[in-house]
Amino acid sequence: MSTDDNAAGTAEEAQVEVVDTFDDTIWDTVNRTLRAVDVRPERSALDLIIHIPRADIIRGLRMLKQDADLQFNYLRCLTAVDNESDGIDVVYQLYSVPKNINLTVKTTLPNENKVIETATTVWKAANWLERETAEMFGVSFSGHPDPRPLLMPEDIDMSDTYPLLKSHPFAEIDVLQGEILGHDRDAEGEG
Amino acid sequence: MSTEIFGFDGVNVWVDGLVRVLLIVGFMTVVVMGLIYGERKILARFQQRLGPTRTGPVGLLQSVADALKLVGKEDLRPRNADAWTFELAPYLVFVPVFLGFVIVPFVLDWQVRILELGLLYFVAVTGINIVGWIMAGWGSDNRYAMIGGMRAAAQGISYELPLVLSLLAVAMVVEVPSDSATGESLRGSLNLNEIIAAQAEIPNLVWQPLVLIVFFIAALAELNRTPFDIPVGESEVVGGPFVEYSGIRWSMFFLAEYAALLIMSLIFAAVFLGGWAWPAGLFQDDPWPRWAQALLVTGKAGLFIFMVFWVRASVPRLRIDQLMSFTWKILLPLMFAQVLINGLVLVYDWPEIVLTVTGLVGVLVLVMAVDRAVRHPRPRPAPATQLEGEAAS
Amino acid sequence: MVVDTSATEFETQDLLLNVGPQHPSTHGVFRMVLEIDGEVVKDLVPYIGYLHRGAEKLCENNDFRQGIGYMDRTEYLAAHNAELSYVMAVEALAEIEVPERAQWIRMILCELNRISSHFMFLGAFGVDVGVFGTPFIYGWRERERIIDLFEEISGDRMMFAYFRAGGLAWEVPLNFPERVREVLESARQGVKDFDGLLTQNEIFIARTKNVGVITADDAIEMGMSGPTIRASGVPLDLRKTEPYLQYDQIEFETITADGGDVFDRYLVRLQEISQSIDLIEQCLERLEDGPIMPEKMPRMLRLPEGEVYIRTEAPRGEYGIYMVSKGGNKPHRLKVRSACLSNLQALKQMCVGQYVADAIIVLGSIDIVLSEVDR
Repeated sequence: MSTDDNAAGTAEEAQVEVVDTFDDTIWDTVNRTLRAVDVRPERSALDLIIHIPRADIIRGLRMLKQDADLQFNYLRCLTAVDNESDGIDVVYQLYSVPKNINLTVKTTLPNENKVIETATTVWKAANWLERETAEMFGVSFSGHPDPRPLLMPEDIDMSDTYPLLKSHPFAEIDVLQGEILGHDRDAEGEG
Repeated sequence: MSTEIFGFDGVNVWVDGLVRVLLIVGFMTVVVMGLIYGERKILARFQQRLGPTRTGPVGLLQSVADALKLVGKEDLRPRNADAWTFELAPYLVFVPVFLGFVIVPFVLDWQVRILELGLLYFVAVTGINIVGWIMAGWGSDNRYAMIGGMRAAAQGISYELPLVLSLLAVAMVVEVPSDSATGESLRGSLNLNEIIAAQAEIPNLVWQPLVLIVFFIAALAELNRTPFDIPVGESEVVGGPFVEYSGIRWSMFFLAEYAALLIMSLIFAAVFLGGWAWPAGLFQDDPWPRWAQALLVTGKAGLFIFMVFWVRASVPRLRIDQLMSFTWKILLPLMFAQVLINGLVLVYDWPEIVLTVTGLVGVLVLVMAVDRAVRHPRPRPAPATQLEGEAAS
Repeated sequence: MVVDTSATEFETQDLLLNVGPQHPSTHGVFRMVLEIDGEVVKDLVPYIGYLHRGAEKLCENNDFRQGIGYMDRTEYLAAHNAELSYVMAVEALAEIEVPERAQWIRMILCELNRISSHFMFLGAFGVDVGVFGTPFIYGWRERERIIDLFEEISGDRMMFAYFRAGGLAWEVPLNFPERVREVLESARQGVKDFDGLLTQNEIFIARTKNVGVITADDAIEMGMSGPTIRASGVPLDLRKTEPYLQYDQIEFETITADGGDVFDRYLVRLQEISQSIDLIEQCLERLEDGPIMPEKMPRMLRLPEGEVYIRTEAPRGEYGIYMVSKGGNKPHRLKVRSACLSNLQALKQMCVGQYVADAIIVLGSIDIVLSEVDR
């Protein structure tokens, strides 16, 4: 959705490349605030997404919180997305209560080194959210004051396969629902 | 020695005592089961539901069914519970209540014994059950039980004082017909029969309105009833000191609670509402028949019991520190003042209307003090300051 | 025995009290360990995860119609609001336009669910405070009427699976406006009953005023939402700040209170019931005939690549769905942003320094439903 091709992709005609300038979003202010950091914008269906490299993420978040024009003082959501071979995206959803603006911040971690600095120094709300992300994805938040599992039982060691990673399998089901009753599994998706 | 019972002369005193005791036991058991049923029905009606309806006609046999169920349960004792403390506790809660029935005047001439120090005996005996609560709490080897037991002890001891003082205030100014030649009336009696007889024309409710209210509140606290049911606060410590008991032992606690309610209501009816004497005493020349007197007493005790249930259905629970400050800072000073005034009335022979006026003023003071305490609470203990960098875990 | 009286103070030991997971007051399987000194709470450690069923992972394996059922079950007391976030996320990604009639009906059902959820809170909160059962029965009486209406509409009392991406599953019954008005009548009476029973009761006020206070700044810092943060004075209502459905077409005020204590949270929720009744009346006036699904709806939805974070105002706060789609008919990642989880983080801060009885009341006032905390 960020760069848009009207043509179906035929190489001959001059492709109309619509470059998204993000004018209708807060991109300009964000870009100005984060000028010390390498930022790349994108769009989601509703909000502006910015990508910050891992090394600068906490610095960037802190700048976003403390900037007088933005004041992102409310951390809505903190989670991760497993992109398999592309690494793990850690996603922060920010909101500014005084200015009523939203922002999504993303950073990518390589699969071999899933370590990132903790955001609890910026918002206290990150505490439990990071605990959950850590136990579900195996992301290690360095400097977290209380790195215990949140939802998982404490006596299970999940370090070989974290639940929400794509490599973690679904359970094998011996009898599929409806088989005993004689329903046809092929009928799935037809209403 | 021989004595007379129900018109039979020359009955051995031991047999006489045994008969009376058995009558009381039977009466108490039946009435307590009726009270349990009554509470469930009345509370249900307050809450727009029906209560027990299935066991027996209109659910009347529900208490019987409950009793049978409890009798059939296994009698458990936690392994680490102190055996003697744990097992003796129900008796120490139940027996004093039962002993209190000795002086309760049901109807003229119908009681186990007439004691000159009736009220003193009553107060002394009902104070023993606090020990039972502590024993139950401590002997259960359970933190919730211990907390409940401590709370019960603190509450029971604290509210004993307004209770005693309120009964004292009434007993002080009761007019007793004197035997002496002068025909002067004496003042002050702990004998319940005399207290009732003195109310033949006007019940003590008129002379001592504040004392009545304080007695009601203190009785609620002694009975561990809402709003003072912290020891058995179900939503907090889940049953309090009795959480580890099951079967018959638990039912003894339960019965003790309702038997105590029954005693308190009868004492209330006797001391404040005139027992069997008012308004029967208004017709001096034609004393009412026994059954009418019994109905009268039942009605008055029933009023007290209904008020207790009503309060339970309507009012939240107090917190332990609020409960403590309420008794020590509000009820007790008011009761001291009331005893002082009663004493002044006795000594200076003021007309009794002074008592009514000061009583009503006292009620007003009580209401205002409670209102002020609620609307302007003392500052709470400050919550822990946020520790830098450490988020709430 | 010689007693050593040289020490000036008793040596005391703090008691570790375990509340839950089975406990009448914890509103579900929730465990907290209180460290108490006498009656004062010195430390509180919550343990959650007893109801974790892996809803997020399961939704990755179920297509966009099957996922609706999972969303119901993450917030069973306000299932319409949960379904709403999910179907709105799907609609945002697939760029589906929802017909207006469906939007108004969705609003009515979500507000009705808000009313029933708040009545549930009032009932359970009354039990926590200590009134034996009267507010509980009042609350459930009102809930029964609303749930009966839901059963007439969707066939289910609690977990409806009634919303679909694009609109609703089927049309509402013909007597829908009349039935809704009946339910609203009885809800008005229910609010009056609660108001009369609890709001002016001195013991209730003494139990709940200045208990469990959280300031506006702390609440924002902890990411709280819903009536809990509005009771601290922050006017954060997603229906007003980021309107969805047709909330920008109707008039209402954000209800706030300025104390941030338990009493204010109770009062805000009580007033929100009245506000929701008013909102539903406005929606009923604007309800017109029309389709409830767009015309060309594919049987099996396949979404283009993209992501979205949809947030709606559920009764407990901001219920957000973060959906990442990489093509196909199943989401690549579905994150449920749970309001109760964020609100529960502040429990320790609100309870330390208060009495044990207050800790129970504060927990009740945050109004958690464990299935949303644990998903």
